[in-house]
Amino acid sequence: MRLLTTFSALTVSIGIAALAATSNPVQASAFTQAEDAVKYRQGAFQLIRENFGYMSGMVRGEIDFDAEQFKQRSQALYHLSNIPFDAFSGAGENATDNSDALPAIWQNRSDFDAKAEAFQQAVKELVEAADSENMRTIRPAFMATARTCQQCHEGYRAD
Amino acid sequence: MMNTLTIKLWDGFIRSFHWLLVVVLAGLWYTGGDIDYIDLHHQLGLVMLALLLTRIMWGIVGSQSARFSYFMRSPIAVWQYFKAPFKHEYVTHNPAGAYMVIIMLALLLSQAISGLFTDDAIFFRGPLAHLVSNDMVRSLTRYHKQAFDYILIAIALHLVAIFVYTVMKKRLVGPMITGRKAYPENAQVNQPKQRHGAFGLVLLGINITWIFGWLS
Ligand code: HEM
Ligand code: HEM
Repeated sequence: MRLLTTFSALTVSIGIAALAATSNPVQASAFTQAEDAVKYRQGAFQLIRENFGYMSGMVRGEIDFDAEQFKQRSQALYHLSNIPFDAFSGAGENATDNSDALPAIWQNRSDFDAKAEAFQQAVKELVEAADSENMRTIRPAFMATARTCQQCHEGYRAD
Repeated sequence: MMNTLTIKLWDGFIRSFHWLLVVVLAGLWYTGGDIDYIDLHHQLGLVMLALLLTRIMWGIVGSQSARFSYFMRSPIAVWQYFKAPFKHEYVTHNPAGAYMVIIMLALLLSQAISGLFTDDAIFFRGPLAHLVSNDMVRSLTRYHKQAFDYILIAIALHLVAIFVYTVMKKRLVGPMITGRKAYPENAQVNQPKQRHGAFGLVLLGINITWIFGWLS
């Protein structure tokens, strides 16, 4: 028991030492070109939209509800939901012609991040709702997610 | 009480069109831009499109007082009208009002048509968006979001004009409800030829049917 405690204390100290040694701040993004960061996040948003759009077809009654398909799409969305936001840092902060990201993002960074988190939280709840396989549970979770897209686009994406 | 001369001015179609327009427009305003109501907004937009199209057709084949050829005047007539706006009695629209009708119809029609090409970047795409380039969809969506302000301005002008006329003792609202308008007995006005409004309503039904069949 003592041995175990000593061992874990040791591990923790090594860990801290290792972190201190590589005291470079953790890079949020590896991009060196703004252009690449923009392409990356736009591509990510396209993937998000494709999956979300597919689910919307079932929620809005355009295609038949298939619980398995819906679950898969919601999980894909879950895995995508962090992806675009890395590319708003580092090189991604520089403006390019092809971006619709508004400067307000970097002026109100904490609000933007809060909106991204609200989106991620909503997606998490959508995945849980999908497990119910019940459209009555899914619909409100789906619409709540859609509102988080809109709430961010309103202030941070050019019309 | 002065003796009056009563004229049948607005047929049943024009009156139904006018008040349906008000109701549908209010609905479009309320539902527009709200993601929870986007499908309802789409349907209401199609009703609006059918209303506008039928009004244009009625402006060609309908009652005389509803016809564009009957009430459109030259810009010079508008100028003369503004020099003495309350002097003459007009059957149907006065020269300035006639241009207002055209502006209002054009604004509403471009709003409804641009709506067919929108993309909200979340989950809604207008029924014709696939026919044009992404850039075009982008511009038309932007237009759709911004141009509604011009419609609101046009409506405000319309209401101000009605208010001013009412103050000047010219009644415009009554005739749009009853269809009839009373003129002083000595007014030089002729009864415009009327067509039964039911024909217009049938036309509206036909237009709603094919527009929904194609675009809903
Ligand atoms: C399911 C929810 C969402 C959907 C369906 C969605 C969809 C999209 C789409 C289709 C684009 C256009 C990408 C392109 O130009 O090719 C886009 C861009 C953008 N979105 Fe979203 N989005 C969602 C959530 C969010 C959230 C939560 C935020 C902010 C916290 C956000 C911020 C942005 C920004 C800033 C851009 C512009 C990127 C650029 O052009 O550089 N989006 N989104
Ligand atoms: C004359 C008829 C119409 C009127 C008066 C109207 C009015 C409006 C208004 C006021 C908005 C809110 C704009 C904003 O967010 O600032 C809106 C948004 C919208 N409308 Fe319409 N609309 C009409 C027809 C249509 C039609 C026919 C469609 C599609 C078939 C449509 C699709 C949309 C979409 C997708 C949005 C949201 C755009 C976005 O947020 O990106 N509208 N409309």
